[in-house]
Amino acid sequence: METLGFLMDGFGVALQPHNLMFALMGAFLGTLIGALPGLGPANGVAILIPLAFSLGLAPETALIMLTSVYAGAMYGGRISSILLNIPGDEPAMMTCLDGYPMAQKGKAAEALAISAIASFIGSLVATVGLILLAPLLAKFALTFGPAEYFALFMLAFATLGGITGKNPVKTVVAACLGLMIATVGIDNTGVQRYTFGVLELFEGVDFIIAIVGLFAISELLFFIEERAGGGKENMKVNKLALSWREIRDILPTSLRGGVLGFIAGVLPGAGASLGSFISYTLEKKVVGKKGHFGQGDPRGVAAPEAGNNGASSGALVPMLTLGVPGSGTTAVLLALLISLNITPGPLMFTQNADIVWGVIAALLIGNFLLLLLNIPLVGIFVKLLSIPPMYLLPVVTMVAFVGIYSISNTTFDLYFMVAFGVGGYILRKLEIPLVPVILGLLLGPEMEKNLRHAMEISDGDWMILWDSGLAIGLWVFAGVGLILPYLLGPLLRRRMQKPIEKGTPESD
Amino acid sequence: MTFNDRIFGVLLIVLAVAYGWAASQFPVPFGGGEAVGPDTFPKLLAVVLAISSLYLIVRPDPDNAWPWSRTGVELIVAVVVLILYAMLLQPLGFIISTTLAVGTLCWRMGAPPVKAYVTGAVAGVIVYFLFSYGLDLALPLGLLSFLEVN
Repeated sequence: METLGFLMDGFGVALQPHNLMFALMGAFLGTLIGALPGLGPANGVAILIPLAFSLGLAPETALIMLTSVYAGAMYGGRISSILLNIPGDEPAMMTCLDGYPMAQKGKAAEALAISAIASFIGSLVATVGLILLAPLLAKFALTFGPAEYFALFMLAFATLGGITGKNPVKTVVAACLGLMIATVGIDNTGVQRYTFGVLELFEGVDFIIAIVGLFAISELLFFIEERAGGGKENMKVNKLALSWREIRDILPTSLRGGVLGFIAGVLPGAGASLGSFISYTLEKKVVGKKGHFGQGDPRGVAAPEAGNNGASSGALVPMLTLGVPGSGTTAVLLALLISLNITPGPLMFTQNADIVWGVIAALLIGNFLLLLLNIPLVGIFVKLLSIPPMYLLPVVTMVAFVGIYSISNTTFDLYFMVAFGVGGYILRKLEIPLVPVILGLLLGPEMEKNLRHAMEISDGDWMILWDSGLAIGLWVFAGVGLILPYLLGPLLRRRMQKPIEKGTPESD
Repeated sequence: MTFNDRIFGVLLIVLAVAYGWAASQFPVPFGGGEAVGPDTFPKLLAVVLAISSLYLIVRPDPDNAWPWSRTGVELIVAVVVLILYAMLLQPLGFIISTTLAVGTLCWRMGAPPVKAYVTGAVAGVIVYFLFSYGLDLALPLGLLSFLEVN
């Protein structure tokens, strides 16, 4: 019941007029970002972070806005899946399977509406799950010592590639690179590390600059290489004619999808892609021969959408309670928390209760806003699809420049951002994932601090790192997470492959 | 072809060795050595990176093609434009440099030149006014500073 009280306080925060306004703005911007070609959720949230700073928003307001952006981007990703058969991001891949056939039968508006409702239910189920699970997990995490935290960070890196990841060694390389960049600067014993006497490096590399460079600038370079500058043809959407019966038909599907998605989101290494995949596959099994999956069955649209949105709310659980994000976008949200001087992790639930619960309440409110926005305004979002990337991406790049410039008004940061962009492009070409780099940048200092504390406790005995049962469990889990993709990865990837030829989007 | 991973692996080993060597040169912090000094964590990273890069060299993945020829030139042009944009942002001012940078990028990505530079100019002006009046943030005016109303 304690939780309920906190939640009420959270609503008190989230319902303040200016917070509500920023939530609405975030939801709208997020849907835009999700719908626009070439702007994934992680990318979009990253570009907006510096702007949230320059607006001078209060921490809870900034977090509420960007969480709404996150939720909105998940909604927006489905529009191009359904209308164009091009998934806006990886988790939206499964939505193509039945969404596009529905659109071809002249039922695009229904498909969009069904996916909006399913997304709403999926998020709602998962947010309730978040409210129930997060405080418990936070309480449990209070028992973690430094050694357990060190093992937990290893687990986060090991599972970040996901079960569907390609080459675990490349994940390790990426994590190392990120952690190495994080060691630049003056460490807490006062020693200068890798600064080469450059004044700007004394405080270390600002991860916001790194994130924006890695995502936004490398995306621009990729589009130039693929010569994908032209726009899509203008899409027309029929008039919506959705009966109550049709909505009722997809309700059980959405509930199942939401639960499965939530579980996939909470578990390390699964993520939204797997969430939508599992719920689609299960739905196909449950409905059996009665359905016509793959030819435009509404339940085939509802299941992956509910799963996808459920997973994205579920992914907030480890991020909020343990300070360990499970996906690219939650990593970017973690970056925001750290830059707002909020230490993520179990203590946040006691020390910054208003912020945490405000954000959770904002998620609930945001979902209602998104549903309200999405059904009547879908026409606007559809029009956006035809904006050619050759105009869009340069403007987005400019927004990234302005954002980074406005943080400290120096040109040095801009050069740094471009350098990270070129580096990100090269890494993506080599199929080295970017998300572990970012996670390394974010978690590096914490990881080193916990290692140091653990060693101080044990007086230099390295055995302390696997001394408790919990720590051993985490290490085993991490090992499994690193090896499992080798065994299961090829199988799962083949089953998730679609007949669409499309460059893999960077993250979910 | 599996050159990419091999070459990259070699570069990473060089990086790991240089990084680890630099760590061993750190001065001992005031108050004497501790179990975990400033050099411990970097040394760990260097070892892990060296081992994983060796793996990349031994068992590389198939290559993605690099964009040589024209596309490669376009990429270099884009990076040069971005660097020039950063360099000229303050001297030329936000609006002019944005017009040039966004315009050039749009044009090189395939837009007709006039439309491209108009897009750049419009975007620059809108964002400038949004920032200076909406958000109360000063972006440099540069060459256009004679327009400034005091």
